[in-house]
Amino acid sequence: MPAAGIVLIIAVLLIVAALVYYLVATIVALHKIATGLDGAIAAVGEIVEKSAPVEAVVDDINANLDAAVDALEGLLVKKVGVNDAIGLIDGLYPGAGAAGLRNFPGSGEIVPPRIGEVYTRGVLTLARLGREAPIAAASPEGPVLRHADRASSEVRVLYPHERQVRPERLPNSPVIGTDSPVQYEKALTPGVRPRPRTPLAARSDDDTKGES
Amino acid sequence: MILYWIGSLVALFVLFPVVVYLLRSVLQAAEGIVPSVDRITAAAAAGSRDLDAVPMLLTTQAQVKQTVETVADYGGSLDVIVDDA
Repeated sequence: MPAAGIVLIIAVLLIVAALVYYLVATIVALHKIATGLDGAIAAVGEIVEKSAPVEAVVDDINANLDAAVDALEGLLVKKVGVNDAIGLIDGLYPGAGAAGLRNFPGSGEIVPPRIGEVYTRGVLTLARLGREAPIAAASPEGPVLRHADRASSEVRVLYPHERQVRPERLPNSPVIGTDSPVQYEKALTPGVRPRPRTPLAARSDDDTKGES
Repeated sequence: MILYWIGSLVALFVLFPVVVYLLRSVLQAAEGIVPSVDRITAAAAAGSRDLDAVPMLLTTQAQVKQTVETVADYGGSLDVIVDDA
């Protein structure tokens, strides 16, 4: 056999060996892929089966929640008006008033009023009805605005000028006792003084004249 | 004879490397798909497990109905108690 024939045979054998090696390796890889896809298809089938009733249930839940939201929005607007309703919502959840009410177009453009001005009548009634109502807080993270024990003082802090009707500083209580700066004569009988009460300076002048 | 040699050498040094290159490329592509398929399988299985809680939606549905009914009753009472704006 000529040498060229041996070279050709070697080349053909190498090509066949390469074909066998790589094709077998490819078959093994494809088999793994097929096995993996079988598992994926089974899992996807489970997902489809489990998620089939979700749409109907979620639609029903959303319908109920929509009805509740519509009713509560309507009640709130009926009781306090659109402006105060936006103020209430924005007071409870700062920034939420910008979203407005669903059934009241344009309500999102209302500038939310101060929540204390909103709660002058109707909402304070709500607060009284529910002592621990969430309207007691400006926001879940904020300080408590209405507390059963310190309600009035906290509200005055919010409105130091508008709501402060009392004097800034009340006069001090009178000092009584033997060492008090103002001494009073003893009454003969309870509630009856021996002579009309006069200022201390006038009384001291009268005493001086009498002695002289 | 010269053509015979040329053909043998071409088969050995040209045809064989080309065949090896092509087959190796096919094998690399097939092996590259395997991890992706494994990840898809794992994700699908995890997604299926996540949906095991779907039946709880029925409980949620019932509780939402009860809550809405309670809110409606409470709102009706408030409508009577609280003055309108």
